[in-house]
Amino acid sequence: MPVVALETGRFSQLVGADKKKILDRLPYIGLDIESVETDRIRVEYSPNRPDFGTDYGIAKALRGLLGLELGLKRYEVHPSKIVVSVDPELSSVRPFIACATADGLDFDDEDIRQLISLQEDLHNGLGRRRKMVAIGLHDISLLVPPMRYRAADPSFKFLPLGESNPMQLDQILAETDTGKAFGGILAGKNRLPILEDSKGTVLSFPPIVNGSATRLTTNTKSMFIDVTSMEMPTGDDVLAILATTLADMGGKIGSVKVSYQGASRDTPDLTPSQVSLDTRLISRVTGLQLSDKQILDCLRKSRLDVSGQSVLIPRYRVDILHPVDIAEEVALGYGIDAIQPEYPPSKEPGSLNRLNQGLDRISESVAMAGFIETMNFDLVDTVSLYARFSRSSDSRIEVENPKTIEHSVLRDSLLPSLMAVLSRNVQATYPQRIYEVGRVFLRDGAKVVETPHLSALTAHSSASFSEAKMYLEALALVHLGGPIQTRPAAHWAFAEGRSAEVLVKDRSIGYMGEVSLSALAGFGIDVPVSGYEIDLSSFLQNKL
Amino acid sequence: MSEPAKTPLHPLEQRVLAALKDKQWVDFDSLVKSSGLLPDQVRRAVSWLASKGLITSREKTTRTLTVQQDPAELLLIRGIGKTGSPMEKLRQTFKSNQEFAAALGNARSSGWIAVEQKDGEPIVTLKDKDKAMQNEAFIESLRGKETEEGKIPAEYRSYAEKLVTRNVLKRNESKSVTLRITDEGVKAAGEATSEDWIERLTPEVIARTRLTGMSPKLRPIDVSAPASGFYPGRRHPVREFIKEVREVYLSMGFVELEGDNVQPSFWNFDALFIPQDHPGREMQDTFYLSGLVDRTINRSGVVDRVASTHENGWTTGSRGWRYQWRTEEARRLLLRTHNTVLTIKALSESKNKEARVFAVSKVYRNESLDYKHLAEFHQMDGIIVGDGLNVRHLMGFLTEFYKKLGMKDVKLWPTFFPYTEPSLQIMGYSEIAKDWIELGGSGVFRPEVTLPMGVDVPVLAWGPGIERLMLLRYGLDDIRALYDGDLAWLRKRVEFASSST
Repeated sequence: MPVVALETGRFSQLVGADKKKILDRLPYIGLDIESVETDRIRVEYSPNRPDFGTDYGIAKALRGLLGLELGLKRYEVHPSKIVVSVDPELSSVRPFIACATADGLDFDDEDIRQLISLQEDLHNGLGRRRKMVAIGLHDISLLVPPMRYRAADPSFKFLPLGESNPMQLDQILAETDTGKAFGGILAGKNRLPILEDSKGTVLSFPPIVNGSATRLTTNTKSMFIDVTSMEMPTGDDVLAILATTLADMGGKIGSVKVSYQGASRDTPDLTPSQVSLDTRLISRVTGLQLSDKQILDCLRKSRLDVSGQSVLIPRYRVDILHPVDIAEEVALGYGIDAIQPEYPPSKEPGSLNRLNQGLDRISESVAMAGFIETMNFDLVDTVSLYARFSRSSDSRIEVENPKTIEHSVLRDSLLPSLMAVLSRNVQATYPQRIYEVGRVFLRDGAKVVETPHLSALTAHSSASFSEAKMYLEALALVHLGGPIQTRPAAHWAFAEGRSAEVLVKDRSIGYMGEVSLSALAGFGIDVPVSGYEIDLSSFLQNKL
Repeated sequence: MSEPAKTPLHPLEQRVLAALKDKQWVDFDSLVKSSGLLPDQVRRAVSWLASKGLITSREKTTRTLTVQQDPAELLLIRGIGKTGSPMEKLRQTFKSNQEFAAALGNARSSGWIAVEQKDGEPIVTLKDKDKAMQNEAFIESLRGKETEEGKIPAEYRSYAEKLVTRNVLKRNESKSVTLRITDEGVKAAGEATSEDWIERLTPEVIARTRLTGMSPKLRPIDVSAPASGFYPGRRHPVREFIKEVREVYLSMGFVELEGDNVQPSFWNFDALFIPQDHPGREMQDTFYLSGLVDRTINRSGVVDRVASTHENGWTTGSRGWRYQWRTEEARRLLLRTHNTVLTIKALSESKNKEARVFAVSKVYRNESLDYKHLAEFHQMDGIIVGDGLNVRHLMGFLTEFYKKLGMKDVKLWPTFFPYTEPSLQIMGYSEIAKDWIELGGSGVFRPEVTLPMGVDVPVLAWGPGIERLMLLRYGLDDIRALYDGDLAWLRKRVEFASSST
């Protein structure tokens, strides 16, 4: 989740409150305080509030909650007279663009840092790593409108930001870091998007890189913002957040006319949107009995406002989807810590699941016989599940792109996990008796079937088949409905001649035996090991 | 009350008395050796015996001598030839004139040498070589060890004293305790040996006793000796904690669910109003099963209602996520990332307007493991469905639930989930970290979630993790320790007594 660094002194001034008050209230606008240092507070914000990407956005919200500045903040937009024409060829490449200007800027280093951080967060969040939305921030002073958002050949050349020589578009994609990171978004396109002014100065090559000519510095007084996107509403949302942030920073926002073949629209549109005010719903959701005035006060603390029967929502709020979102704004304005909890008593009695109860009873019995219960991961590595037992891994169930190979296949047996536990405990005293009750995963055509299994192993200098059988038989008589029959049968875990299939009432339920020498060697265990693994499914009731 | 019977001597006491039977003063270390017992055992026996007056102790000061350096006069002697040596030549073998003069003087006064004039030069000759050699031998016998002063032969005592003054020999003093048997102790030792102990009861001894009517005495054993280790079978601590959680839920009127760990993406994500391009749905964070899909997911019924809600809000009154919903994405099989999938399914199948259900089971996230993160862990999800429920009830429930699990103090802070509004994160206080720690999330399900399921009453939901809470309880700082399979910990961990009322 994205993080914002708040310089304490600067932030305190922006908010108009001291550090203590700020730290106390930050959680109540939904921010997680990551760390508090003498000169800095780092906060984490949720992706539904991209407007929290700078200290300006957070300060705006906090001032509301603290009662220092209430209601909707109005944003004025004046027409900049700049036109951006859109090449229809781009409709199959990267169709939408929305732009704005910001004048009268007076940035310091921290302002720029905050702005770049916001841009990065927008790219990763709403921008879906630039695939959905990409942003270009430009110093306007050298640009000569109108601008053209057009399709260019891969051989088109310009000087990208960060490079010393002009490069072709295909070169940029193949050779630069951003080209390699984001070039996949333009894969398969033989005409690529370029934003340039009337003199051919390139502003950007979206979503890859900006032109060097329009680089931002602390001297920048006027900016041009371009937001390209795959979906117009999301592009507009991102532009709105950037424009309102720049306005918060003291900029005057200018609208740009974006001209698609024939039709044109002015961006950004910062007029507040409206959602109907449903006071009954608000009461229902929050459990608070509030008068209309109280509701209004709470909304104003959340920097919203009411006009007639509608709630006015500032353009930088992209998270209001449904009237319940208004109910939450009321609760936040009220103060989550001011809400009185009320315990909801139950009318009906509860009950525990029979399948789980059954598994528990069996597990208790095994523990009572002197075994230590282990819990091991369902995702294991192919070596301990297959190779160490000379098994084929053809039927394996794999996960895509696991972060570690230790957790890459779903286990179809518990026994290898138990062997791994024994191999990690060769320094502990013997006898070692361990077990696990868990699920195993098997392919059944196109489906995956999950089955509860029990496996137990005993390890010590005289561990034997008869010992394992003694334990399993005792368990079977109590929980499995009868004595076990053991027929000789080969199994990948057990030594030849010391391996058996286990049956109860003529139905096969699993295997038992003495673990083979090669498996012992593979796991580095120097004492004999014997045990069993059985399928518990037919012994558990899972429906009433 | 009559006088209590005299308790027989403990076998350790008997051994120590036997080792002291010579009625000599014996020091502690020698006693350990001669009794064949461990130092600890000897210490115990000595303290019992002393309190009974059967042995007595005294502090002894032992003086020993060690050789610091060679006496100069011996060096002188060694340098004298058979027929004598010129004094000048001898003088040169010494570092200083003073040393030479002292050596000469000492050798002379001991009567070992004589100085004569020969041809006008002083010559030193050996007068009593044997005596000198004897002294040399004496010093050799002391070299490289500590010798008790008492063991020095009488004829060398005064010589030794002189050597101490001259720093040739060094005197060391050490105090030690020595022990000696008393007359009562001698008597007690004698009595004890005449007793007839048997080592242990056996079926034969018991049978014989019945026949003969004689009851032999059992030799007393050292009851304070440590027992051999034994590790009883045990449940895994996470299972024990899960049991506790299930019981808390039961006590609050909840019905337990269980279900498959493998789910189609539809129930894990789409049904929870998580858009199909949400970053959390990516392979980076989720375990998708290679090449496996659920073909029963088709755009009809509940699937269609959910899809429409994503696209445009359907009839929920929402704006929706405004994108094109795809069936193939919803069909992908994955390992569930939370348990809400079970509660949501139950919601869709239930015809009841009121319900309380929970599930405590495994969830999976495609993460690298570190001290705070696991790829497989457990959540204790629950929902309460009912008319009139609101966020205050959610807060009330969570406060009570955590109180029953031993966390007296929980804080609820606003947060965000795509499927709940309002959303609250549950914070618990860690005594070890001295800080508030996130225990899990909760909220009121959005209408975009409940309405497509056919539920038009509020649903409160929460899905905190189990392992985080266990770390706080057990004072562990590494979450992986819970699943390491460390037998030492699994065998020896101390039972935790919940501090909740």
